[in-house]
Amino acid sequence: MPNTNPDPERRMTRDAALDVLARRRTNEVVVPAMTALGPWVRRSGSDRNLLNLGFMGGASTYALGVALARLDVGVWVIDGDGSLLMQLGSLATIAHAAPSNFLHIVMHNGVYETSGAQAIPSEGRISFAGLAREAGYAQVARFHDVEAFDAQLDEILAQDGPTLVELITAPTESFYKPGPPPSERPTPAVARNWPTVRDALRDD
Amino acid sequence: MTMIAQSVAATELLEALLDAGVQDVVAVPDTHQRTLIASIEADPSMRFIQATTEDEGTAICAGLIVGGRRPILQIQHAGLYACVNNLRGLGIDGAFPIVLMVGLLSRDRAKAPQADFGSMVRLAEPLLDALEIPHHLIDGPADVGQIGAAYREAEQRGGPVALLIGAETV
Ligand SMILES: Cc1ncc(C[n+]2csc(CCOP(=O)(O)OP(=O)(O)O)c2C)c(N)n1
Repeated sequence: MPNTNPDPERRMTRDAALDVLARRRTNEVVVPAMTALGPWVRRSGSDRNLLNLGFMGGASTYALGVALARLDVGVWVIDGDGSLLMQLGSLATIAHAAPSNFLHIVMHNGVYETSGAQAIPSEGRISFAGLAREAGYAQVARFHDVEAFDAQLDEILAQDGPTLVELITAPTESFYKPGPPPSERPTPAVARNWPTVRDALRDD
Repeated sequence: MTMIAQSVAATELLEALLDAGVQDVVAVPDTHQRTLIASIEADPSMRFIQATTEDEGTAICAGLIVGGRRPILQIQHAGLYACVNNLRGLGIDGAFPIVLMVGLLSRDRAKAPQADFGSMVRLAEPLLDALEIPHHLIDGPADVGQIGAAYREAEQRGGPVALLIGAETV
């Protein structure tokens, strides 16, 4: 079967995709995962960034829980393609729960970038927008061109979700480099940022 | 043979959940607690959220807590084995006060769970111990008060608490 994804030079960069999203962000809760996490937080600092680290695959349903608790607030998850594959059933769970305030961005870079850029299974054939559509999402879209994504995003955000937008991105070289041992930099710190988000939502 | 585990009526469990302030039941179907699932689905004051795996269920509960809700994760023992990484990452590292209700399907009612023949039942408590998650057996109607207590304990410790349902609900 032919590779259905464009060549690396015709894919949008992760950072350009995040810039488009950061420009639209107002009061949404955003759950960034994997290589999107650092660059997202640097672009769009907020007490509504709910960080996803240390439970690969869990970002989509973590975000779903927030969306179902607060149907009045937009919830965006910026998922990795490998991460979504790890809990692919979440597409059916999300479609079934059907929160209209839910935006699922999938960064389809084709690789497990954090762990060394190994190809994801079925890269070149798999379509996350297609999987979401068949699972029952209200709206799906797929872009490799960042200008097209930028031009369409307002219209996408105006529709009721759950919505999945698959962004075909070029891999970068963001390998995971272990930091100092946990005694110096406690690993739970990232996973424990949620009370800040809870409090921000409570004050709404 | 004396039976140490007795069935608890679904109505009693549901009432205890409502008393504890539970609003959302996140579940992967459990044969053991199917009468309770049916009562929950029939109760308009409870929201039933179906997940495809217990890993998802754990993360949904965490997200609900961020949004100010009080959920319960209702699963069977096999599901506990299936959600270890999210339970560790969110429950332990994230310090989320998630309460789990875990059905010990096929448990020999005449024995303590750790003396059970089947690995599903026998290893549940040692696994929770390894994960540093407190657990309490609901082995009959007298233990239903454990539900409210589990929420207090989870909030206090900042982490998950598991309730093991010892006999099939009726
Ligand atoms: C349960 C589990 N298995 C394996 C890993 C190792 N791992 C860490 S990051 C990663 C790849 C993530 O890939 P993806 O979600 O596509 O995001 P990207 O790094 O490409 O942004 C893997 C396999 C892990 N963290 N957890």
